[in-house]
Amino acid sequence: MSILLAATTGDVTKAGKAIGLALGVGLGALGAGVGIGNIFGSMIQSVARQPELRGELQGIQWLGFALTEAVVFYGLLGSILAYVLV
Amino acid sequence: MRRLLVSLTLLALALPAPAFARGEFDPTTEFEQHDWIPIHLGPLNLSVTKAVVYLMIGTALTILLGIVLMRARLALLPDRRQTIGEALYEIAQTQIAEQGLPSKAIGRWFPYVSTLLLFIFVVNLIGFIPLPLTGETWHGVPVWGIYAATSSLSVTLALALLTFVFTHFEGIRWNGPTRYFKSWIPEAPKALLLLIVPLEILGQFMRLISLSVRLFANMLAGHILILTFIGLMFILETVVLSPIVIPVATAFYLFELVIVVGIQAFIFAALSAIYIGSAIEPQH
Repeated sequence: MSILLAATTGDVTKAGKAIGLALGVGLGALGAGVGIGNIFGSMIQSVARQPELRGELQGIQWLGFALTEAVVFYGLLGSILAYVLV
Repeated sequence: MRRLLVSLTLLALALPAPAFARGEFDPTTEFEQHDWIPIHLGPLNLSVTKAVVYLMIGTALTILLGIVLMRARLALLPDRRQTIGEALYEIAQTQIAEQGLPSKAIGRWFPYVSTLLLFIFVVNLIGFIPLPLTGETWHGVPVWGIYAATSSLSVTLALALLTFVFTHFEGIRWNGPTRYFKSWIPEAPKALLLLIVPLEILGQFMRLISLSVRLFANMLAGHILILTFIGLMFILETVVLSPIVIPVATAFYLFELVIVVGIQAFIFAALSAIYIGSAIEPQH
Protein backbone atom coordinates (compact mmCIF):
# COMPACT_ATOMS: atom_id res chain seq x y z
CA MET A 1 0.00 0.00 0.00
CA SER A 2 3.03 2.23 0.30
CA ILE A 3 2.75 3.22 -3.36
CA LEU A 4 -0.65 4.77 -2.60
CA LEU A 5 0.79 6.69 0.32
CA ALA A 6 3.60 7.91 -1.89
CA ALA A 7 1.02 9.91 -3.81
CA THR A 8 0.59 12.19 -0.83
CA THR A 9 4.16 12.25 0.46
CA GLY A 10 6.35 11.47 -2.58
CA ASP A 11 8.21 14.00 -4.66
CA VAL A 12 6.64 15.73 -7.64
CA THR A 13 9.28 14.69 -10.21
CA LYS A 14 8.39 11.03 -9.87
CA ALA A 15 4.70 11.83 -10.12
CA GLY A 16 5.26 13.88 -13.26
CA LYS A 17 7.27 11.11 -14.87
CA ALA A 18 4.59 8.55 -14.05
CA ILE A 19 1.85 10.79 -15.45
CA GLY A 20 3.89 11.36 -18.62
CA LEU A 21 4.46 7.64 -19.11
CA ALA A 22 0.80 6.81 -18.56
CA LEU A 23 -0.41 9.62 -20.84
CA GLY A 24 1.95 8.62 -23.65
CA VAL A 25 0.92 4.98 -23.61
CA GLY A 26 -2.74 5.78 -23.01
CA LEU A 27 -3.09 8.23 -25.88
CA GLY A 28 -1.17 5.90 -28.19
CA ALA A 29 -3.48 3.06 -27.24
CA LEU A 30 -6.51 5.29 -27.88
CA GLY A 31 -5.48 5.94 -31.47
CA ALA A 32 -4.51 2.36 -32.16
CA GLY A 33 -7.75 1.12 -30.62
CA VAL A 34 -9.79 3.19 -33.07
CA GLY A 35 -7.60 2.05 -35.96
CA ILE A 36 -7.71 -1.65 -35.13
CA GLY A 37 -11.46 -1.46 -34.62
CA ASN A 38 -11.78 0.08 -38.06
CA ILE A 39 -9.69 -2.65 -39.68
CA PHE A 40 -11.63 -5.55 -38.16
CA GLY A 41 -14.96 -3.80 -38.75
CA SER A 42 -14.17 -3.37 -42.45
CA MET A 43 -12.93 -6.95 -42.59
CA ILE A 44 -16.24 -8.27 -41.20
CA GLN A 45 -18.20 -6.16 -43.65
CA SER A 46 -16.20 -7.23 -46.67
CA VAL A 47 -16.29 -10.92 -45.72
CA ALA A 48 -20.05 -10.65 -45.17
CA ARG A 49 -20.42 -9.23 -48.67
CA GLN A 50 -17.91 -11.43 -50.49
CA PRO A 51 -17.05 -14.50 -48.40
CA GLU A 52 -14.97 -15.97 -51.23
CA LEU A 53 -12.33 -13.24 -50.80
CA ARG A 54 -11.64 -14.19 -47.18
CA GLY A 55 -8.23 -15.79 -47.83
CA GLU A 56 -6.90 -12.85 -49.80
CA LEU A 57 -8.25 -10.29 -47.35
CA GLN A 58 -6.78 -12.05 -44.33
CA GLY A 59 -3.20 -11.29 -45.34
CA ILE A 60 -3.98 -7.61 -45.81
CA GLN A 61 -5.93 -7.57 -42.55
CA TRP A 62 -3.05 -8.83 -40.45
CA LEU A 63 -0.62 -6.50 -42.20
CA GLY A 64 -2.86 -3.55 -41.39
CA PHE A 65 -3.36 -4.81 -37.84
CA ALA A 66 0.36 -4.96 -37.15
CA LEU A 67 1.07 -1.62 -38.80
CA THR A 68 -1.63 0.05 -36.69
CA GLU A 69 -0.72 -1.76 -33.50
CA ALA A 70 2.86 -0.54 -33.82
CA VAL A 71 1.61 2.99 -33.17
CA VAL A 72 1.08 2.14 -29.49
CA PHE A 73 4.66 1.04 -29.24
CA TYR A 74 6.02 4.22 -30.75
CA GLY A 75 4.11 6.01 -27.99
CA LEU A 76 5.36 3.55 -25.40
CA LEU A 77 8.95 3.90 -26.57
CA GLY A 78 8.78 7.68 -26.45
CA SER A 79 7.27 7.56 -22.97
CA ILE A 80 9.87 5.13 -21.67
CA LEU A 81 12.64 7.30 -23.13
CA ALA A 82 11.14 10.33 -21.40
CA TYR A 83 10.74 8.36 -18.18
CA VAL A 84 14.30 7.06 -18.14
CA LEU A 85 16.19 10.04 -19.54
CA VAL A 86 14.49 13.06 -17.94
CA MET B 1 -9.05 -32.88 3.19
CA ARG B 2 -8.72 -30.84 0.04
CA ARG B 3 -10.30 -27.81 1.69
CA LEU B 4 -7.82 -28.07 4.54
CA LEU B 5 -4.95 -28.24 2.04
CA VAL B 6 -6.21 -25.18 0.18
CA SER B 7 -6.62 -23.13 3.34
CA LEU B 8 -3.19 -24.19 4.58
CA THR B 9 -1.64 -23.18 1.25
CA LEU B 10 -3.39 -19.84 1.36
CA LEU B 11 -2.20 -19.29 4.92
CA ALA B 12 1.36 -20.17 3.93
CA LEU B 13 1.15 -17.75 1.01
CA ALA B 14 -0.24 -14.98 3.18
CA LEU B 15 2.27 -15.37 6.03
CA PRO B 16 5.52 -14.16 4.48
CA ALA B 17 3.82 -11.12 2.95
CA PRO B 18 5.74 -8.61 5.11
CA ALA B 19 8.98 -10.39 4.19
CA PHE B 20 8.87 -9.28 0.54
CA ALA B 21 12.08 -7.36 0.08
CA ARG B 22 11.55 -3.74 -0.80
CA GLY B 23 14.88 -2.15 -1.67
CA GLU B 24 15.50 0.71 -4.05
CA PHE B 25 14.63 -0.50 -7.54
CA ASP B 26 16.02 1.10 -10.66
CA PRO B 27 14.17 -0.13 -13.78
CA THR B 28 16.97 0.89 -16.14
CA THR B 29 19.28 -1.81 -14.77
CA GLU B 30 16.88 -4.43 -16.12
CA PHE B 31 17.95 -3.56 -19.67
CA GLU B 32 21.69 -3.99 -19.13
CA GLN B 33 23.49 -6.75 -21.02
CA HIS B 34 26.30 -8.29 -19.00
CA ASP B 35 29.27 -9.81 -20.81
CA TRP B 36 29.30 -13.54 -20.11
CA ILE B 37 32.26 -14.35 -22.36
CA PRO B 38 34.10 -11.10 -23.17
CA ILE B 39 35.39 -10.88 -26.74
CA HIS B 40 36.85 -7.49 -27.66
CA LEU B 41 38.27 -6.92 -31.15
CA GLY B 42 39.73 -3.43 -31.07
CA PRO B 43 36.76 -1.06 -30.80
CA LEU B 44 34.31 -3.89 -31.55
CA ASN B 45 32.59 -5.53 -28.61
CA LEU B 46 31.60 -9.03 -29.71
CA SER B 47 31.05 -10.37 -26.21
CA VAL B 48 28.62 -13.21 -25.63
CA THR B 49 25.68 -11.79 -23.67
CA LYS B 50 22.25 -13.08 -22.79
CA ALA B 51 20.81 -11.89 -26.11
CA VAL B 52 23.61 -13.62 -28.03
CA VAL B 53 22.96 -16.91 -26.23
CA TYR B 54 19.25 -16.65 -27.06
CA LEU B 55 20.11 -15.89 -30.68
CA MET B 56 22.38 -18.95 -30.84
CA ILE B 57 19.63 -21.17 -29.43
CA GLY B 58 17.22 -19.62 -31.91
CA THR B 59 19.54 -20.25 -34.84
CA ALA B 60 20.10 -23.87 -33.87
CA LEU B 61 16.36 -24.44 -33.40
CA THR B 62 15.55 -22.79 -36.74
CA ILE B 63 18.00 -25.06 -38.57
CA LEU B 64 16.65 -28.08 -36.69
CA LEU B 65 13.07 -27.07 -37.52
CA GLY B 66 13.92 -26.81 -41.21
CA ILE B 67 15.64 -30.18 -41.25
CA VAL B 68 12.95 -31.98 -39.25
CA LEU B 69 9.98 -30.46 -41.07
CA MET B 70 11.20 -30.20 -44.63
CA ARG B 71 14.14 -32.55 -45.16
CA ALA B 72 13.64 -35.77 -43.24
CA ARG B 73 11.54 -38.68 -44.52
CA LEU B 74 9.43 -36.87 -47.10
CA ALA B 75 6.54 -38.95 -48.37
CA LEU B 76 3.91 -38.62 -51.08
CA LEU B 77 1.21 -39.00 -48.44
CA PRO B 78 2.29 -36.39 -45.89
CA ASP B 79 2.01 -37.17 -42.20
CA ARG B 80 1.26 -34.46 -39.64
CA ARG B 81 4.89 -33.29 -39.37
CA GLN B 82 5.21 -32.84 -43.11
CA THR B 83 1.83 -31.12 -43.29
CA ILE B 84 3.05 -28.47 -40.83
CA GLY B 85 6.16 -27.96 -42.94
CA GLU B 86 4.14 -27.61 -46.12
CA ALA B 87 1.73 -25.18 -44.46
CA LEU B 88 4.67 -23.02 -43.34
CA TYR B 89 6.14 -23.17 -46.84
CA GLU B 90 2.82 -22.17 -48.35
CA ILE B 91 2.49 -19.15 -46.03
CA ALA B 92 6.00 -18.04 -46.98
CA GLN B 93 5.32 -18.63 -50.67
CA THR B 94 1.81 -17.27 -51.25
CA GLN B 95 1.34 -14.80 -48.40
CA ILE B 96 4.81 -13.26 -48.28
CA ALA B 97 6.96 -13.84 -51.36
CA GLU B 98 4.26 -13.60 -54.02
CA GLN B 99 2.62 -10.59 -52.35
CA GLY B 100 5.74 -8.46 -52.27
CA LEU B 101 8.31 -9.74 -54.74
CA PRO B 102 7.99 -9.57 -58.53
CA SER B 103 7.98 -13.04 -60.11
CA LYS B 104 11.45 -12.61 -61.63
CA ALA B 105 13.00 -12.12 -58.16
CA ILE B 106 11.13 -14.77 -56.15
CA GLY B 107 13.71 -17.47 -56.82
CA ARG B 108 16.47 -15.25 -55.51
CA TRP B 109 14.78 -13.69 -52.48
CA PHE B 110 12.35 -16.36 -51.32
CA PRO B 111 15.06 -18.00 -49.16
CA TYR B 112 15.78 -14.71 -47.43
CA VAL B 113 12.20 -13.80 -46.57
CA SER B 114 11.25 -17.32 -45.50
CA THR B 115 14.36 -17.48 -43.31
CA LEU B 116 13.34 -14.19 -41.73
CA LEU B 117 9.86 -15.59 -41.07
CA LEU B 118 11.12 -18.79 -39.45
CA PHE B 119 14.01 -17.24 -37.55
CA ILE B 120 12.04 -14.37 -36.01
CA PHE B 121 9.19 -16.73 -35.20
CA VAL B 122 11.51 -19.14 -33.38
CA VAL B 123 13.41 -16.41 -31.54
CA ASN B 124 10.14 -14.78 -30.47
CA LEU B 125 8.77 -18.13 -29.37
CA ILE B 126 11.69 -19.18 -27.17
CA GLY B 127 11.35 -15.76 -25.57
CA PHE B 128 8.18 -17.02 -23.91
CA ILE B 129 9.64 -20.27 -22.61
CA PRO B 130 11.19 -19.90 -19.14
CA LEU B 131 14.89 -20.82 -19.33
CA PRO B 132 17.58 -20.74 -16.62
CA LEU B 133 19.47 -18.02 -18.48
CA THR B 134 18.69 -14.89 -16.48
CA GLY B 135 22.27 -14.70 -15.26
CA GLU B 136 21.09 -14.43 -11.67
CA THR B 137 21.33 -17.07 -8.97
CA TRP B 138 19.23 -17.71 -5.90
CA HIS B 139 21.18 -19.70 -3.29
CA GLY B 140 23.31 -21.11 -6.09
CA VAL B 141 20.36 -22.21 -8.23
CA PRO B 142 20.03 -20.37 -11.54
CA VAL B 143 16.88 -18.25 -11.69
CA TRP B 144 14.46 -19.13 -14.50
CA GLY B 145 13.00 -16.29 -16.48
CA ILE B 146 11.61 -15.22 -19.84
CA TYR B 147 13.59 -13.02 -22.20
CA ALA B 148 13.40 -12.56 -25.96
CA ALA B 149 16.46 -11.65 -28.01
CA THR B 150 14.13 -9.66 -30.28
CA SER B 151 13.25 -7.39 -27.36
CA SER B 152 16.73 -5.90 -27.73
CA LEU B 153 16.94 -3.06 -30.24
CA SER B 154 20.40 -4.14 -31.44
CA VAL B 155 19.05 -7.46 -32.71
CA THR B 156 16.08 -6.05 -34.58
CA LEU B 157 18.12 -3.14 -35.95
CA ALA B 158 20.65 -5.61 -37.36
CA LEU B 159 17.85 -7.53 -39.07
CA ALA B 160 16.32 -4.31 -40.42
CA LEU B 161 19.74 -3.19 -41.68
CA LEU B 162 20.02 -6.44 -43.66
CA THR B 163 16.73 -5.67 -45.40
CA PHE B 164 17.76 -2.03 -45.90
CA VAL B 165 21.07 -2.96 -47.53
CA PHE B 166 19.53 -5.68 -49.70
CA THR B 167 16.77 -3.30 -50.83
CA HIS B 168 19.15 -0.72 -52.27
CA PHE B 169 21.62 -3.32 -53.52
CA GLU B 170 18.87 -5.01 -55.51
CA GLY B 171 17.43 -1.70 -56.69
CA ILE B 172 20.79 -0.69 -58.12
CA ARG B 173 21.55 -4.16 -59.51
CA TRP B 174 18.31 -4.46 -61.50
CA ASN B 175 17.83 -0.84 -62.57
CA GLY B 176 21.30 0.71 -62.56
CA PRO B 177 22.13 3.51 -60.12
CA THR B 178 20.76 6.43 -62.14
CA ARG B 179 17.40 4.86 -62.96
CA TYR B 180 17.02 3.58 -59.42
CA PHE B 181 17.70 6.86 -57.67
CA LYS B 182 15.60 8.71 -60.27
CA SER B 183 12.68 6.49 -59.28
CA TRP B 184 12.73 8.15 -55.86
CA ILE B 185 11.76 11.45 -57.49
CA PRO B 186 7.99 11.41 -58.07
CA GLU B 187 6.06 13.27 -60.77
CA ALA B 188 5.37 16.69 -59.29
CA PRO B 189 5.75 20.40 -60.05
CA LYS B 190 9.34 21.64 -59.80
CA ALA B 191 8.68 23.83 -56.75
CA LEU B 192 7.19 20.96 -54.78
CA LEU B 193 10.10 18.63 -55.57
CA LEU B 194 12.31 20.61 -53.22
CA LEU B 195 9.98 19.55 -50.41
CA ILE B 196 9.18 16.02 -51.58
CA VAL B 197 12.62 14.67 -52.38
CA PRO B 198 14.09 15.18 -48.88
CA LEU B 199 10.94 13.60 -47.44
CA GLU B 200 11.32 10.65 -49.79
CA ILE B 201 14.95 10.15 -48.74
CA LEU B 202 13.97 10.53 -45.09
CA GLY B 203 11.24 7.94 -45.70
CA GLN B 204 13.83 5.39 -46.79
CA PHE B 205 15.54 5.74 -43.43
CA MET B 206 12.25 5.83 -41.53
CA ARG B 207 11.61 2.33 -42.88
CA LEU B 208 14.69 1.22 -40.99
CA ILE B 209 13.37 2.71 -37.75
CA SER B 210 9.79 1.52 -38.13
CA LEU B 211 10.85 -2.01 -39.11
CA SER B 212 13.18 -2.42 -36.15
CA VAL B 213 11.18 -0.56 -33.52
CA ARG B 214 7.95 -2.39 -34.36
CA LEU B 215 9.40 -5.81 -33.58
CA PHE B 216 11.54 -4.63 -30.66
CA ALA B 217 8.80 -2.67 -28.91
CA ASN B 218 6.18 -5.35 -29.48
CA MET B 219 8.26 -8.03 -27.79
CA LEU B 220 9.48 -5.71 -25.04
CA ALA B 221 5.98 -4.47 -24.25
CA GLY B 222 4.67 -8.05 -24.21
CA HIS B 223 7.22 -9.08 -21.62
CA ILE B 224 6.75 -5.91 -19.58
CA LEU B 225 2.97 -6.42 -19.58
CA ILE B 226 3.18 -9.99 -18.29
CA LEU B 227 5.80 -9.22 -15.67
CA THR B 228 4.07 -6.03 -14.52
CA PHE B 229 0.86 -7.85 -13.72
CA ILE B 230 2.69 -10.50 -11.72
CA GLY B 231 4.85 -7.78 -10.20
CA LEU B 232 1.79 -5.93 -8.91
CA MET B 233 1.71 -8.49 -6.08
CA PHE B 234 5.22 -7.49 -5.08
CA ILE B 235 4.75 -3.76 -5.59
CA LEU B 236 1.63 -3.66 -3.44
CA GLU B 237 3.13 -6.27 -1.08
CA THR B 238 0.08 -8.50 -0.90
CA VAL B 239 -0.82 -11.96 -2.18
CA VAL B 240 -4.55 -11.22 -1.97
CA LEU B 241 -4.25 -9.89 -5.53
CA SER B 242 -3.02 -13.20 -6.90
CA PRO B 243 -6.47 -14.51 -8.00
CA ILE B 244 -6.76 -11.39 -10.17
CA VAL B 245 -3.26 -10.79 -11.49
CA ILE B 246 -2.28 -14.37 -12.31
CA PRO B 247 -5.25 -15.02 -14.67
CA VAL B 248 -4.69 -11.62 -16.31
CA ALA B 249 -0.99 -12.32 -16.76
CA THR B 250 -1.83 -15.76 -18.18
CA ALA B 251 -4.30 -14.21 -20.61
CA PHE B 252 -1.67 -11.77 -21.86
CA TYR B 253 0.86 -14.59 -22.06
CA LEU B 254 -1.48 -16.62 -24.27
CA PHE B 255 -2.30 -13.56 -26.39
CA GLU B 256 1.39 -12.92 -26.99
CA LEU B 257 2.13 -16.57 -27.66
CA VAL B 258 -0.76 -17.26 -30.05
CA ILE B 259 -1.09 -13.95 -31.90
CA VAL B 260 1.80 -11.53 -31.48
CA VAL B 261 4.71 -13.98 -31.96
CA GLY B 262 3.46 -15.19 -35.34
CA ILE B 263 2.11 -11.86 -36.56
CA GLN B 264 5.33 -9.99 -35.90
CA ALA B 265 7.43 -12.59 -37.70
CA PHE B 266 4.98 -12.49 -40.60
CA ILE B 267 4.97 -8.68 -40.74
CA PHE B 268 8.75 -8.40 -40.69
CA ALA B 269 9.13 -10.91 -43.53
CA ALA B 270 6.23 -9.44 -45.54
CA LEU B 271 7.48 -5.88 -45.26
CA SER B 272 11.00 -6.98 -46.19
CA ALA B 273 9.58 -8.66 -49.29
CA ILE B 274 7.53 -5.57 -50.16
CA TYR B 275 10.51 -3.23 -49.72
CA ILE B 276 12.84 -5.39 -51.82
CA GLY B 277 10.14 -5.91 -54.43
CA SER B 278 9.40 -2.20 -54.70
CA ALA B 279 13.11 -1.47 -55.21
CA ILE B 280 13.40 -4.08 -57.99
CA GLU B 281 10.35 -2.77 -59.81
CA PRO B 282 9.97 0.95 -59.01
CA GLN B 283 6.60 2.52 -59.70
CA HIS B 284 7.84 5.14 -62.13
